[in-house]
Amino acid sequence: MALGTALSRPAQLDSCEGVLRGGLLRRRAELRKSWRHLMPSDCLESLGVFAKEVESFLSRVDAFRDWRFAAAFTWLNCNASFMDCLGAIALARDIEHRPSNTGPAGLSLVSFNKLASNQRSEILCDRYRCPLNIGLPSESDVAEELLRQLMVTDRTKLEEEVEFDVDMVLLKLNLVGVRAMITRDLRFLDALNYFYELPRRSLARMRTNPRFLASWLCIYAQLLGAPEW
Amino acid sequence: MRVAVIAGSLKAGMRIAREIENIAGVDIFVVVCNVRMKSLLQRWSREFLSALTSPSCWTLATKGCSYAQQGKLIILSGPLDDATSIQRLRSLQCDVGLHAANVIYREPTISAFRVGILNAHIGILPRYRGRCVVEWSVLQRDPTGVTVFFIDPGIDTGNRIVLREVIPSNGWKRVEALKNMLFECDARLYRKALEALMQPGVQFEANDISKGRRYYVMSKVFKQIVNEILTERANLA
Repeated sequence: MALGTALSRPAQLDSCEGVLRGGLLRRRAELRKSWRHLMPSDCLESLGVFAKEVESFLSRVDAFRDWRFAAAFTWLNCNASFMDCLGAIALARDIEHRPSNTGPAGLSLVSFNKLASNQRSEILCDRYRCPLNIGLPSESDVAEELLRQLMVTDRTKLEEEVEFDVDMVLLKLNLVGVRAMITRDLRFLDALNYFYELPRRSLARMRTNPRFLASWLCIYAQLLGAPEW
Repeated sequence: MRVAVIAGSLKAGMRIAREIENIAGVDIFVVVCNVRMKSLLQRWSREFLSALTSPSCWTLATKGCSYAQQGKLIILSGPLDDATSIQRLRSLQCDVGLHAANVIYREPTISAFRVGILNAHIGILPRYRGRCVVEWSVLQRDPTGVTVFFIDPGIDTGNRIVLREVIPSNGWKRVEALKNMLFECDARLYRKALEALMQPGVQFEANDISKGRRYYVMSKVFKQIVNEILTERANLA
């Protein structure tokens, strides 16, 4: 290999990483300034005791925690509820979890997709009571399906500014975001980028579920600050 | 071998037909689909304007007339997967279809061709399936290029890959320009693919989807990053 080639390739790789990191940090800075448009005061206040913490988290520069340790486990059990666990992950707090050598049986996507929205939501919240589990290798098919749904059907509805299932879309965005934090799969991060860029009128509808909206924005903030993509 | 170019416009169809019409043993038809189900007036005024702006306007017109006179130019008025359109396609008794229209193919359309429909996908299969694969390849520092494969009703999941060509992104500063260049490789690569198919004992490479991922439309922030990567690379070179 010529010396020039040998030197230029790592330099190109470094420069790619630098450009990506720079772009993500620019978006992070933008989110720090603009999150209040998505979550105005009344919506933030409806979070009660979490309001201050969410506000401080989204306004911070260093809001990040490395969750990649989770990928090493077969399954994680926890006593806290799905919402509490998701809230803790979103705010980069410690979460109580117990590793297990066995996980639940695989989820049949055919049957899952035939269920009503509230049933699907229940199944996802139950299965991912510890939301870190969505990042495990065994959950790849479920995660891919959630990503597909977001980026094909849900995305179209939000782009066209028609009615959509706010709770379900936010649940998927949260789970897809957690998967991105653990796997560093850029496609999962980009789903959050994409939804953040959708018409504000569609995003404003998400205020009907302030807790899910807040956790989505906090997870997004962590992803944008994450190194090593 | 009987081949039909399935095109979204006369111009697109004729561009590919011209590239492959000199292959010995190939009999070509051009099938123009009504992609967005436009009215007759809308459709033909669009075709007319497109032809007028083409530098090879006269060649396009004469070629189009020549194909029409030979009964080799088929204009579909209904959707491609409509029973009448499928019947018309079947009647051509083609071996291979060449995808050049912005349509999704359903099973009855695909099976109207004896061997199948080829697609020149602007990404390297099996690794990059779906949308914005050029952008994703650049972002993930993987090679860019085109894969010619036989489609199935899934998203770039057809199992038979005929050929794959790595076409570097070096020197391109904007991803849209890079994509246009890759799209325009279709005629040349269809030619190569047809020539390969006409060889005795042709073998296909399996499109093992477990070795790749499906990609989706890319966000604005990532597209900007991709353009910055391309610019930086071009400046480094």
